[in-house]
Amino acid sequence: MANIFPRSANWLPLEILTCIALLGAVIPVGMWYYFTPKYTRVGYMPNQPVDFSHAIHAGQVGLDCRYCHSFVEKSGHSNVPTTQTCMNCHGQIQAANPRLQPIRDSWENGTPMKWVKIHQAPDYVYFNHSVHIARGVSCVSCHGKINEMPVVWHDKSQSMKWCLDCHRDPGANVRPVENVFNLDWAPQGTTQRELGDKLVAAWDIKPPTTCQGCHR
Amino acid sequence: MKRVFQHPPEASNGRKYWRSLGEQAETPEFKQWLQREFPSTHAEIESDGISRRNFLRLMGASVALAGFGMTGCRRPEAYIVPYTKSPEWIVPGKALQYATAQPRRRGAQPLLATSYEGRPTKLDGNHLFYKSGFSKVYGPSDTFGQVSILDLYDPDRLKEFRQGKEVKDNVVFFDALNAMAATFGDGEGVAFLADASNSPTRDRLRGELVKKFPKVRWVEFDPISDEAEVAASKAAFGGRYLQTPNWDAADILVTLDSDILDGDEGGHEAVRGFANGRRKLAKGEKMNRLYSVEGRLTTTGAAADHRLRIASTKIGAVALALATRLGVAGLPGSPVKLTEVQTKWIDELAADLLANKGKSIVSVGVVQPAAVHALGHMINDVLGNFGATITLMAHPRPESATLASLVQDVKDNKIKTLFVLNSNPVYSAPVDYDWATLQAKIPTVIALSHEDNETTQNATWVLPAAHYLESWGDAWGRDGTYMSTQPMILPLYNGLSEIELIARIIGIIKYEAPKADAPKSETPQGFGPELVQETFRRISKGTDFANDWSQFVHDGFLSGSAAPKVAPAFNAAGAAALASQAASAVLPDGAYEVVFYPSPAVDDGRYNNNGWVHELPDSITKLTWDNAALISPATAKKLGVPDRGSQIDDPYTDAESSIPVPVFMFTVDGKNLSVPVLVAPGQADETISIALGYGRTVVGRVGFGTGKNVYLIRSSSKPWICSDVKVNKTSETYLLAVTQEHGSMEGRGLIREASLDRFQKEPDFAHHIGIQLHGNKELYNNPQLVPGKRDIHQWGMVIDLSTCTGCTACIAACQAENNIPVVGKDQVIRGREMHWLRMDRYFSGDINDPTVASQPVGCQQCENAPCETVCPVNATIHSEDGLNVMAYNRCIGTRYCANNCPYKARRFNFFNYNERPLNELYYGPLAQKGSPETIKMQKNPNVTVRIRGVMEKCTFCVQRIEEAKITQMTKARVTDSPEHGNKSKLIPSDSIMTACQQVCAAEAIVFGNIDDPNSHVSKIRGDALHNNKGADPRNYDLLHYLNTKPRVTYQARIRNPNMKMPGAEIFLKDPESYAAPHHGHDDHAEPGHGAPEHSGHEAPVQPQGAQH
Repeated sequence: MANIFPRSANWLPLEILTCIALLGAVIPVGMWYYFTPKYTRVGYMPNQPVDFSHAIHAGQVGLDCRYCHSFVEKSGHSNVPTTQTCMNCHGQIQAANPRLQPIRDSWENGTPMKWVKIHQAPDYVYFNHSVHIARGVSCVSCHGKINEMPVVWHDKSQSMKWCLDCHRDPGANVRPVENVFNLDWAPQGTTQRELGDKLVAAWDIKPPTTCQGCHR
Repeated sequence: MKRVFQHPPEASNGRKYWRSLGEQAETPEFKQWLQREFPSTHAEIESDGISRRNFLRLMGASVALAGFGMTGCRRPEAYIVPYTKSPEWIVPGKALQYATAQPRRRGAQPLLATSYEGRPTKLDGNHLFYKSGFSKVYGPSDTFGQVSILDLYDPDRLKEFRQGKEVKDNVVFFDALNAMAATFGDGEGVAFLADASNSPTRDRLRGELVKKFPKVRWVEFDPISDEAEVAASKAAFGGRYLQTPNWDAADILVTLDSDILDGDEGGHEAVRGFANGRRKLAKGEKMNRLYSVEGRLTTTGAAADHRLRIASTKIGAVALALATRLGVAGLPGSPVKLTEVQTKWIDELAADLLANKGKSIVSVGVVQPAAVHALGHMINDVLGNFGATITLMAHPRPESATLASLVQDVKDNKIKTLFVLNSNPVYSAPVDYDWATLQAKIPTVIALSHEDNETTQNATWVLPAAHYLESWGDAWGRDGTYMSTQPMILPLYNGLSEIELIARIIGIIKYEAPKADAPKSETPQGFGPELVQETFRRISKGTDFANDWSQFVHDGFLSGSAAPKVAPAFNAAGAAALASQAASAVLPDGAYEVVFYPSPAVDDGRYNNNGWVHELPDSITKLTWDNAALISPATAKKLGVPDRGSQIDDPYTDAESSIPVPVFMFTVDGKNLSVPVLVAPGQADETISIALGYGRTVVGRVGFGTGKNVYLIRSSSKPWICSDVKVNKTSETYLLAVTQEHGSMEGRGLIREASLDRFQKEPDFAHHIGIQLHGNKELYNNPQLVPGKRDIHQWGMVIDLSTCTGCTACIAACQAENNIPVVGKDQVIRGREMHWLRMDRYFSGDINDPTVASQPVGCQQCENAPCETVCPVNATIHSEDGLNVMAYNRCIGTRYCANNCPYKARRFNFFNYNERPLNELYYGPLAQKGSPETIKMQKNPNVTVRIRGVMEKCTFCVQRIEEAKITQMTKARVTDSPEHGNKSKLIPSDSIMTACQQVCAAEAIVFGNIDDPNSHVSKIRGDALHNNKGADPRNYDLLHYLNTKPRVTYQARIRNPNMKMPGAEIFLKDPESYAAPHHGHDDHAEPGHGAPEHSGHEAPVQPQGAQH
C-alpha cells in the first residue's frame, strides 16, 4: 500500500506542538502587557520642557488650580496656561532663573511651549471637564494628588471601565462643589459614601452610562 | 419556525407611487435588484492589482510583523501647545459664533460662522436677522451657504501670486502694480471685468477709481444675470427696480419658469412665505395655492398644487393668454397654438386670480426673456398686486457696462490692461464672443481668482483671491439691508479681496515694507476694516461711530437699513410694447428647444470644485456628479433612448444607475455639444434642459471631469432658450450616478397626502392609509416615559411634508455638521453614498406629467430598534434619552444592523474616505494615506471622523444635544438646590436644533423633547405618556405596523387643489388607501400576520420577530 501521507507529515505533530507552545507563550505575554497598568500608562512621567513643579505651585504656594487652568469650569477642555500666565509672576519672581529660560524665550519669540501630554483620552472620547467640576467631581478623583507631585505622573488608569465605575456609582467621588479644587479635602464627621450618596440624591446626578455620553 | 414577515400588499386601486422609471415599469429584475442592500456585487474587496489572496498574504505578514517589538503598542508622545498670549474671547474647546454674510447674486445671505480656536467649521443662518419665523431661533441658510465653508479649505485653491507661470512674492506684485498704476494716466485702456457683486464698498471704490482714472471701463458680468428682469422693469417702471414680494401675504402664487423655492430666485423669503401659507389648514384660514408653468420639473413645480408642463418657448404665449383673460388690453395674440387642456388651465387660473385680486404674486423666472417679465409686471399690475403683495426697491447696484461693449473695445484694440475680478469669462462668456481669443489680444491681464481656472491660464498676473470668510467686506441683502462680512481667519494663502485690490490700484492702501524692529510675535496683518468702515460711516449716518460699528459687526447687519419701498408709476404702454415681443417666440411643430438652467449644485460653475455639492443628489432627478440633458419619457421613446429599467439583465450586477445612457449631440447655430441624456418625468416633451456650470477644463481635482460644458453652445442672443436645435444620437454612452433607486421603499403608505378638502372633512385621514395598528406587544416598556416623572429628555422629531419642498439643503447641512465624507461618483453608482439623510422623491400619476412628493428620511430613532438587537458587539444601543446611539469604535462592521433596518437609514464606510483621495480608494493597505491639512480644518471637532469598516447613521446631532445638556448642568451648579434642583437640569424647551432643522427655511423639521409638554415637537406628536393624546391628526410614522415606534414622525402632506382645474381628478382619488384598515395583531388567529403561506407576495424585509 502506498503511503497516504507524504514524508513531511512526520513533522506535523511536532509542528502542531510548537504552535501550541508558542500560542501558550504569546497569550500570557499579551495578557501580562495589556492587563497591567503599564498599558494604561499609569505612572507615565515624561520630562517636560520646563521642570514645572505642581508640588511647589499648587502645594507650597497654594495657587488655586483655576489660576492656570482657567477655563476648566467653562469648557470641556481644561486649558494649559499660556506663556503669558507664567510671565504674570515670573516676570518678577525668579526672573533670571536659567531653568525658566524656555518660558522667557517663548514670551519673546511668540513660539508656544510644547508641553508633553500626560492624560490623553482617545480621539473618540469626548470628555468634558466643566460638567464634572459642576457636579462635584474633584480634580483629585481623576488626576490624583497633583499638589504633591513635583513632576506630574499619570495616576489613575482612566480606562473605560474606570470611567464607568464612577458613572455607575457617582457617590464614591462626589463632594460639595466648593471643595472640588481643594485636593486635600476629606469629609468631616461623615464618610465619603454617606455624603456622596446624599449629594447624588439631592442633585439628582444621573451620569450617562450609554455610548453618547462620551462617544459622538 | 422562521417567521417571514409579511408586508401588506400594495393597493390595487388608487394612486401608485414610484421613484424611478424601472420601478414604474415593474420588471421582475428590478424588484429583485431592489431587495439587495447594495445594488451591485462589488461588496467584496477588489483592488487594482491586489487580489484577495494577495491581500490576505499581506495582511498575514503585517500581523506577524506587529509581533516584533512592543513599541508599536505604546501611545506616541503627544503635546499640548497653548497660546503664548490669550486671544480675547477664545476659550479652548468652546465654539464662538460670528456674524457674517455670504455675497450672493440677488443679495447677501446673513450667516453665523461657528469657529473653534479661530478655525471656522460651520455656517448657519443668522437668526438675529430673521424675526418672523415661528421657532425662537429661525436662521435659515441654503445649500450654497452650507457648502461655501468647504471652498475656504479647498486644497486646490490658488496659493501664490504668479507672473505668467512663475511664482512671485506678493510684494513683487505690489511693486509692479504701483508701477502699472502710475502709467494709467486718465484710465484709457484700462478695464475691469468683475463678477456681479452687491458690495457697497466695492461700488464706492469703483466711484473713486473712476474719479482718479475717468476713462476706466467697469464691466460686470454674471452668466446668470438679471438683465431680462431689469429690462422689463425699465420698460414698465422707467427705472432699474427689483421686486421684493411679500410671500406671506399672497394666497395665490404663480410661477412662470421660476424656481422660487430653490436657489436665489425666491430666497428664504419665498420658502418661508410658501411654508407659512401651507400651514393655514384650519377652517376659516386660507391656505395658499401654487400654480407652476414650466418646462423642466423644478423644486417649485414639484411643490405646486397645479403644474402646467409646457415648453419654455411657449410660456410667453401662456403669459399672453393669461394677461388677455385677466383683461389686459392691447396685447397681440400669440401664434403658438395652445391645446384645449392648456387653454382650460389658463382660464381656470385666470378665474382663480381674479377671485383673489391683490392677493397673488406672479413670478417670472430668470430663464425667460424680458418680454415675459414685462407680461408678469402687467399681470401683477392688473391684479392690483403692486403695493399689496409686491413692492419694489431700487436696484442696489449702479449700472455697469455690458460684456458686449467690452468685447467691442477689445476687438478695436482699445484695452491695454484688464483686471478680471472673480470672474471666469473664458469659461462662461457667451460662445459667440470667443473670449479666449479676445483675451489673448490684451497685453496685460490681471486675474484675481479663488482657484486656477480657464481665465487664469494665460493671464499676465494671477492673484489668489481671499474667500469671503477671510476678508472684510460688506453687501446688500435681498431686501437692501446693509450687511457686514468679517474675516473668520487670516487669509490662508495671502489672498487679496476685491476691494483690497482696487484700493491698492487707487493708492488708498500702499505697500510698506515691515519694520525691521517689529516684534516677531506680532501676527502679520492683512488689511483692516478701514475700507468698509468708510462706507459704513456714509450709510449708517449715526453719531456714535465706534458703537454703531461694533453693533453692525456683531449683528452682521445694520438694523432698519432695508431699502425704502418705492412705488414708481406703472407705464402700461411701455410694458405692453416690450410684452408684445413675447408673441414672436415660436416653436415649430416637432422641434426641440434646449433650455439652460443655473445648476442647483454648482451654480454657474463657481462651486465646481466642491465635493459636497457634487454628491448632493439633485432634488428632482437625483443626479449626482454630472449634468445631463433632461428629456421627457415620451421624447425618450421618440428619440430611441432605451428604457434603462428594461436593460437590467442580471439584477445582481446591474442597476439602473450602472447602466450607461446614450449621449446625444445638440447643435445650436452650428455649435455642437454632446451630452448624456437622462429621462426625467415631468419634463415638457419639446424641452431639453441642461444645467450650466459643468465640464470645466481647468479646475481642481474634485471638479475635473464632471459633466459637460453647455457654455460651448450658449450665445449672447440665446442665453437661456434655444428654440431651434438639432438633436442627433451618437454612438457614445455615458455613466450617470443617479441615486433615485437606492433605498427604494415600495408602496407602503410612506407618503400620505390628501387634498385640503378631504383633510377638513376627515382630519385623521393619514391614519386610514396603510396599516396603523399592528400589534402592541412590548418586549419592555420604555422606562423613561413614566407618568409623573418628567425628569429626563426624550428626543423626537417631526417633519412636515406639507411645507418640505425637497430642496436638499438639510442634507448639505448634515454633511457639514457631521463630518460626512464624500465618496465619489464611482461609489455613488454602487450605492455607497454616505449621506445620513436622504430625500426620497416619489412620483405618482402619469409617467410624463407626474405629481411629486418629497420625504426626507434619516435614522428614525426607533424605540424598538431592529438594528440594536442584531449587533453582536453592542456597538449600537439605546440611550437614556431615547436615542439609538452608535459607538463607532466598537463597530466591527458586520453590517447586520443595516440589513435589519427597515428604513435603510444606515451607511457603511466601505473605504477610508477621509484618508484616501477618491481615485485611490482601491489601493492596497500599504498605499499612502492622509488627507490635506486644510480639509482636516473644516471637520467638526465634536464629531468623530469615521474610518473604514464602520457603520454610521443619523444621531439627531448628538454632539449638540450633549453640549446643551452639559451647559445646562454647569448652569445648574449655581442654581441647584435640593428643592428645585431636578427641574433645572432640563434644557429649556426648543433651545437646541439639529443641523437639518436649523438650515430649513420652511421650518419643516421640528426637533425637541417629546416628554416636555411645552415643546413644539410634543404639541405635534401629542402627549408621549398618554398614547400621544392631543397629537396633530396629520402625524404618522413610517412602517407603523412593524412596531418599531420611530421617534421621527411625519405630518401628512396637504395639497390645495383647485377642483375646477383640468387634471384635478387625481386629487379625488385616495392615494394608496386600503379598503379596510388592517386589524390589530391580537385579532389574529394562528398563524398570524407573519405566515409564509399568507400570499405569494415577496417578503423583502425579514426582521427577527417573535416566534409563533
